[in-house]
Amino acid sequence: MLVKYGCRLLPPAGEQSIIFPMSIIQIKDLVKTYRVYQKKEGLAASLKGLVKREYKDVNAVAGIDLEVEQGEFVAFLGPNGAGKTTTLKLLSGVIHPTSGSAQVMGYTPWKRDNRYRRRFALVMGQKNQLWWDLPAQESFRLHQQIYRIPPQQFDETLAEISDLLDITRLLKQPVRELSLGERMKMELTAALLHSPDVLFLDEPTIGLDVVAQHNIQQFLKFYQERRKITILLTSHYMKDVAALCKRVVIIAQGQIQYDGSLEGIVDQTTSHKLVSLLLDENEIRTEEFSKYGTVESIELPRVVLRVAREDVAKTLNAILDNHTIHDVTVEDPPLEEVIAEMFSKVDPSIQRATDEDIAASADHAGTESDA
Amino acid sequence: MNIGFYIIIFQHTNMIGEEGGWKQYEFFVFLATTWFINSIVQTFFMPNAQEFSELIRTGNLDFALLKPIDTQFLISFQKMDWASLSNFVMAVALLVYSLINLTSQPENPLTLHWSMFLLYPFFIFCGVMIMYSIMVALASTSIWLGRNQTLYNCWFYITNFSRYPMEIYQRGWGWALWGAFTFVIPVLVVVNIPARIMAQPLRPVGHQWYWPFIALAATLISVLSSRFVFKKALGAYRSASS
Amino acid sequence: MTAHVVKWWTILRISLEERFVYRGDFALGTLMRFLPIITQIFLWTAVFAAVEQASTQSGAQASEGAAEQSAAGSATTVAGYSLSAMIAYYLLTMMSRAFSSMPGLASGIALQVRNGEIKKFLIQPVDMIGFLLLTRMAHKLAYYTIAILPFAFVFYLCRGYFELGWPDMQRLVVYVCSLLLAFVLGFFLEASIGLISFWFLEVSSLLFVYNLLTFFLSGHMFPLDLLPDIAQQVVTYLPLHYLAYFPAAVFLEKIPANEMWIGLGVQALWVLAFIGLSRVMLNRGLHRYSGFGG
Repeated sequence: MLVKYGCRLLPPAGEQSIIFPMSIIQIKDLVKTYRVYQKKEGLAASLKGLVKREYKDVNAVAGIDLEVEQGEFVAFLGPNGAGKTTTLKLLSGVIHPTSGSAQVMGYTPWKRDNRYRRRFALVMGQKNQLWWDLPAQESFRLHQQIYRIPPQQFDETLAEISDLLDITRLLKQPVRELSLGERMKMELTAALLHSPDVLFLDEPTIGLDVVAQHNIQQFLKFYQERRKITILLTSHYMKDVAALCKRVVIIAQGQIQYDGSLEGIVDQTTSHKLVSLLLDENEIRTEEFSKYGTVESIELPRVVLRVAREDVAKTLNAILDNHTIHDVTVEDPPLEEVIAEMFSKVDPSIQRATDEDIAASADHAGTESDA
Repeated sequence: MNIGFYIIIFQHTNMIGEEGGWKQYEFFVFLATTWFINSIVQTFFMPNAQEFSELIRTGNLDFALLKPIDTQFLISFQKMDWASLSNFVMAVALLVYSLINLTSQPENPLTLHWSMFLLYPFFIFCGVMIMYSIMVALASTSIWLGRNQTLYNCWFYITNFSRYPMEIYQRGWGWALWGAFTFVIPVLVVVNIPARIMAQPLRPVGHQWYWPFIALAATLISVLSSRFVFKKALGAYRSASS
Repeated sequence: MTAHVVKWWTILRISLEERFVYRGDFALGTLMRFLPIITQIFLWTAVFAAVEQASTQSGAQASEGAAEQSAAGSATTVAGYSLSAMIAYYLLTMMSRAFSSMPGLASGIALQVRNGEIKKFLIQPVDMIGFLLLTRMAHKLAYYTIAILPFAFVFYLCRGYFELGWPDMQRLVVYVCSLLLAFVLGFFLEASIGLISFWFLEVSSLLFVYNLLTFFLSGHMFPLDLLPDIAQQVVTYLPLHYLAYFPAAVFLEKIPANEMWIGLGVQALWVLAFIGLSRVMLNRGLHRYSGFGG
């Protein structure tokens, strides 16, 4: 099997007259501006709106440059309304950009070339494309016809994916009877039936429970590694990102704020580490710890300090000299916190979020979405 | 439905329009033609046009745009409303009934020619295509207007003009309407041409011979321009979130 | 009381605002409403032309059908209507229908019964019919405060068709009253039909028949005077003709002064009857509904 899929790394010779440029996805100065009608409160304002309307230009995507290599798994992170989903929609040709250019596998997405459309897939966690009242299998059959998948390839792919996702027994059930997680797995299956070379995932794990999230992560990881396809993913869940993507692109206010590894974010953004100390029972002079750094929490016998990165070694020495310590761990701050810090640097209106806020915003993500 | 209305009208007059106007059974052929075209449009295209507006509103048009087949084709044939086809059966009945009456009337009985049975369905098909084009163009506007609840009304009011013989507009300022609905939005040729071929084949009104060609040209131009509008509209699609 | 006024005003204001947001839709929709009138004008012009032709051809012979040559001059009439009066009639029924038509009322009630949304009227301290009447009034008001402009414009353009000019004060009062009653009658009539869904879940075919009957027998499609005599007799005993024909006929002086007051009285009685009927149906229906446990 592996060998067989290995052949799919490159497009079949001859079929493709277009030679790949270096990158599979090339985006240059992409801009998407929406004109939004400013509706005002009140009757008088509404009446005025009849005659003259005020519009506001909203830059959903404000000049993005990006290159993605074949086989990469890239995560788009950003607050709601940052332009992540808009970028994915532009790349899949659903909407036209205001200006700028993009090439995916040599095609301009919004020209909607059928050859292009046969080679990528878009999965949106908040929209479903399967027929609500029919078993997923029927929708898959329709897909087979639309994408002209040879019967044998269709059967094999469906068997393989449904086996991996453990949904074989659900194929004959009407989609409306499935749970959210099962439905998402079906959506994923539908998207992968025609073996796309590029996959766009827009919040694929939104609203799912931890187990379902984990399943989908595992599947994506396995599938991507095996087929070496290129995946762009947006998500609000750091776990998704940490589990799957080596490369992270942070978008806020329609622009790329960071592009690099996940660890790099921590190095670049935060200047602190968390030092966690397990104190001896006799050690009760807790108030003294504030002189080593900011005290994050005191839950005896454990004390957590926030210490400037460059001072860690020095501080630890000082603490060990003056106190009886049983155990020490030095960690980076939680990823969520780092990302939130990064967002707040870009847009001061976003407060530096505490862990509780992040948890709350995860719930929030289910109700709001990107512009 | 509105046949009742016309039965009552024909209680009070024997013809609609002056010289060369439509007598009762000729007009019933006209009505039957209207029914044919409407039933086909309502069965195959109306549910899809409504679905299209819904797809735009919910943003689910995204998925149609992703599919590697022609988007207009995909959204034009997703649904069918078989119940509307019952009107087709009614139309057949009315047509047969009217033709029997027309061929057996003592004064100028209608003689049927085999070519009529080829041309009639063909121009009904042309009429359906014109209606379909107008519907596609109208449905596309919901991309620009954001919401188009009055889509159905709009459609009804425009096509309403097609349900009457075109001669009734040919007076005074009606000529402007006649011109607009023949050459700009060609709804008047939709029913008039096939109905005339069937009901009044030998009655020369104006230079009748060129009307079928006008109908053909109108069909082609409508189909092409509606496709143009559709493509243009897709370019402006905003994709509602979730 | 003030709470009611505030509630009413809020509903009204929100529906107005909603109207304005989609102004493209709205302007288009209102203007489109007058398009069928145009085809009616041309259709009837063609009919009158044919009648006139037939009567001049037949000359001294007896006039055909109901086409009469009026003694005064050459004006052709059909069932007592001149061409102008006919067109004026259609304009006036547009007015009547503006008051009496209730798009989506019955089907809305049926839908609420079917999907169980009706439960909220069992729980909340809101009277369902009252609530629906209120929102309907707000919507009509919202719509016609804007639509009055195109309406006035069209009537001004067509003022030539009103050969009799404005009717006298007494007639005008009866006309306005019958319009208002037409609104209330239309509401309670259609509400009653919607409430049938408590007993039969699927009322769409029933609604279809109702709409068809309304179309013909309310006078919306043509002046009821065109009907054969027996049919006219029957129609007079039905409530439907108060929805469109009666107000228009009052305005066009087709109904003698003494009869129009009686007509208005009968219309009021029909209104009371349907208020009572819908009230009884709602109570029985809700009782039955809660009896089944939703």
